[in-house]
Amino acid sequence: MTVTAPPQVKTDAHYKVADVAGYTEVSYEVKVQLFEQVKSDFRFGDYLYGCYECGICVGACPSAKFYDFSPRRIAQAAAREDVELIYQQMQEDIWECSQCFSCLRCPRGNNPGGIITIMREVAVRNGLASAKEALVGYSRIIYKIMSTGTQVSPDMLGRDAFPDWGPETADVADNLDLWRRALPPETMHTTSTGWSVADRTLVELYLIWFETGALDMIAQVDPSLHSILQELMEDRLEEEGIEL
Amino acid sequence: MTIPIGAPLDARRLVNATAEPVVDRRSLDDPRAELLELERQGELIVQKIDGEAISVATKYGREKRIQKAHLWHHKSCGQCGHIPGYSTSIFWMMRKLGYDYHDPHDQTSCTAWNYYASATSNTAAQAAVAVRNFAAAYETGYFPLIHCGTSYGHYKEVREQLIRHPELRAQVRGIMAKLGKPLVLPEEIVHYSEWVHALRHEIAARQVRDVSGIVVTVHPACHYHKIVSGDAIYDPDIYGGQRTAVVTGLAEALGAEVRSYSTWFDCCGFGFRHILVQRDFTRSFATLRKIEVMKEEANPDVVLTHDTGCVTTLDKSQFAARAHGRNVGLAVLSDAQFAALAMGAHPYRVCQLHWHSADYRPPLEKMGIDWEKAWAEFQSDLRRLESGEKRYLDWDDADGLHDEEGPSALGTDTTIEVRDVL
Amino acid sequence: MSSETVAVIGGGPGGLRAAQGIAELGGTAVLIEQRDFLGGTPVAENYCGLTPRGEPAQPQIRQMVDLVTANPLIEVRLGTEVAGVTGEPGAFTLRLRRAETAETQSSEDQTIGCGAIIIATGFGHFDPGRATQMYGYYEFPDVITQPDLEAMLSEGRVLRPSNGQPPERVCFVQCVGSRDRQIGNEYCSKVCCGVASKEAIEIRELLPDSKVLIFYIDMRMYGYWENEIYWPAQEQHHVQYVKGLITEVLPKGDRLLVRGEDTTMGRPMEVLMDLVVLSVGMEPSPGTRELARLLGVKQNKYGFVEAVGKPLDPVGTDREAIFACGAALGPADLEDTVSSAAGAAMKAVSYLRSRAVAAGH
Repeated sequence: MTVTAPPQVKTDAHYKVADVAGYTEVSYEVKVQLFEQVKSDFRFGDYLYGCYECGICVGACPSAKFYDFSPRRIAQAAAREDVELIYQQMQEDIWECSQCFSCLRCPRGNNPGGIITIMREVAVRNGLASAKEALVGYSRIIYKIMSTGTQVSPDMLGRDAFPDWGPETADVADNLDLWRRALPPETMHTTSTGWSVADRTLVELYLIWFETGALDMIAQVDPSLHSILQELMEDRLEEEGIEL
Repeated sequence: MTIPIGAPLDARRLVNATAEPVVDRRSLDDPRAELLELERQGELIVQKIDGEAISVATKYGREKRIQKAHLWHHKSCGQCGHIPGYSTSIFWMMRKLGYDYHDPHDQTSCTAWNYYASATSNTAAQAAVAVRNFAAAYETGYFPLIHCGTSYGHYKEVREQLIRHPELRAQVRGIMAKLGKPLVLPEEIVHYSEWVHALRHEIAARQVRDVSGIVVTVHPACHYHKIVSGDAIYDPDIYGGQRTAVVTGLAEALGAEVRSYSTWFDCCGFGFRHILVQRDFTRSFATLRKIEVMKEEANPDVVLTHDTGCVTTLDKSQFAARAHGRNVGLAVLSDAQFAALAMGAHPYRVCQLHWHSADYRPPLEKMGIDWEKAWAEFQSDLRRLESGEKRYLDWDDADGLHDEEGPSALGTDTTIEVRDVL
Repeated sequence: MSSETVAVIGGGPGGLRAAQGIAELGGTAVLIEQRDFLGGTPVAENYCGLTPRGEPAQPQIRQMVDLVTANPLIEVRLGTEVAGVTGEPGAFTLRLRRAETAETQSSEDQTIGCGAIIIATGFGHFDPGRATQMYGYYEFPDVITQPDLEAMLSEGRVLRPSNGQPPERVCFVQCVGSRDRQIGNEYCSKVCCGVASKEAIEIRELLPDSKVLIFYIDMRMYGYWENEIYWPAQEQHHVQYVKGLITEVLPKGDRLLVRGEDTTMGRPMEVLMDLVVLSVGMEPSPGTRELARLLGVKQNKYGFVEAVGKPLDPVGTDREAIFACGAALGPADLEDTVSSAAGAAMKAVSYLRSRAVAAGH
């Protein structure tokens, strides 16, 4: 069962503010539902066996060295079905994971990074605030994917987009068109897309996202992006003679 | 026999060898065999390796074959987007070695960067995107070669999910049917650095620049060797078979000195999300855990790596760190760019080093490349483009075949055998 | 033709105890050993001190060997392998060959008859180059295994292979090649916690200035091992036990950096070491695998011989008149091995005697 509306704020008399610990508190039943969605994912059984607390995953994990993050606690919480802790982890912890899969060294065969991928998808599908916040930086990437078929384009290196990357990115921005024409590969003479993608291909990608419900997930966390994408593609689909 | 006390590692290896073959029993033993079985059952089509191929050993001993020619380049967004010299070098090397290829327009991004960053997708979408690309390759008859480490790792994950879960296969098959495409997977999922590794001796045979004075540190991409680890290339002659062999194998074949450092297995810190929205993590991790450690312990001339995200992270994280007085300033190149330079590629026309952030000029100088001259040549190319004399640079321009003085000394036609390869 | 001889295949502690047990019961035994010496793995791998009390291993094993070689009821065949088996329970024929030859059929092959067989072919140590974690055993000379350390202890010196100097900081890494789904050895190898602790005590005694750590998942200290090894290791010898397994070993300067999580403190941990000892697990030896195949006895999924009637019958296989003992059945310590060997001897002899009675002899 999908929890479609954003979780309701619980107003207990003794809370001075409704948001506790920086995130919205929800009822126990909602937490159970969220965990059940994680557990019923077809990958869950491939990703979680038992855990004997060896800590190898933490030893290998880059995020554990920087954040108060532990893939071991993710696996433990999931194994114990501790829905309170899992809900808490879905607010912050899961977004600290680098998705590097160094934790696949687990001798029990667990995949804490994979459990996190599932938890993230559940957070997105249910429109959790943490997912919306996480998506803020990525809505332009999603738009780029849908409008060009690639995730990264040269024109994303805007003059002031990455000041911490050094002055060379500004050089790129200043010479963008010229420098792109100075590339030997024929597919790469582009500025608004990584490489030149055929129109038909773009439409096929949209169809995939539509058919698989990926677009619905976007609607949950960024409704305006969703309508932009819909508008963008509907005409294209008609042109290519593909029916939804 | 007794094991001699203090026996050298080779002797201990001989004694320790048991008859039992090793596999990762949590993963599929042999995905290739599983795919062929599913094909026999009519569940999917397997695109077979065609023509000459080189055999390599993977982590648990399974033989993997790397097709040499007639490849379909599954490009990388990040490479094509902001490290275009990376992709260009891959194409350039393939041309120089005389192997035909297809550079498709009907290829989408694998979309895995977005997936690992924001999770605004699901397994069916990811699998369908993968299969759609594989079908596009299959339709041309060219065998797919994956440019990005994350595309490669993610596609291995997708392959395993499709093999294990018939309901996912059915769903993806249905979507492909709407697109008029079959459900097809290649016999092997091959990363371009595996192709480079398999052909490293052919590459070395065409080497025209001396890199024996270059000290290299290698950074292995997490998604290359940590996801479905059994598929990664291992070689008993490289690191005693204890670490993945790609990139190191190439550097050694070219004669560079490869030095180790104590954070070899660490991620670069790309983080997928973090590179855009939590940049202090990426920058700090890349600097503190990788670049500074490499400099302090190995003092290399260049870091070599084989993935888009890793090149981005290691190259771009150093500028801001310098402002904090950190010990940074280390050139970052892909193995493809390094190999291309060794084969005589132009640093700007081919390797497009002007898109890089960390200073690449010291290793170029050590390789005897007059980068000032090269830059002047590239500038003259740009003038020709600006004047409208040409619309785009082409492959002949990349080799300086239209230079006024004749072929540039820096971009020679490399059909010449220049040295015996050890 | 039925035989009253029991063939014991494997001349390690299990095979020695079994052969001796058969002789003690008045039966006759032929002991077939692949190597050209008796004593098995403790001798081949230079065991120094036995667990738990550390008494010298070689004299103890030699004592077992002497009892067997002096016994007229036991025939010893060294440098010999079993190449084939025919016949039926009570009347087997074993085809033997010299251990060096590779041919399956040779004019030099001999045959012997026996009425019952005891499999005592034991175990082999896990090859640490196959470990899931990144230990670099075949890359770094200062990463060694427990057997490598036993060899050093036998010489009375513990030195870093890289520079011949005594180490200041030594650590043990438990469960290498055991309890691991990725390798497939999901079981616990039972003895490595006790052996590591014993070795840690020995190092602390030899090198009083050294610091010794043991990185573990669980400390398996059954029965009296708790008070005979674990407590003294901590209390008298100040061995440090850290709950958290090592995931990677890489050189840093001229030392080794080991990386893991200190789970008790809940944080990632990196420490420098001079010597890293991998506590490698037990696997069925090539001899156990080959013999089980030749005899057609059931093996478990790990390749050890299956004791089909356990726990109450720890030595019977699924084939009549064929028994097994010691580490051929699975991870076993010396006490397990000599106990099951004596049990197998008793069962084999009583099997033959009851057949003889039934046949009216």
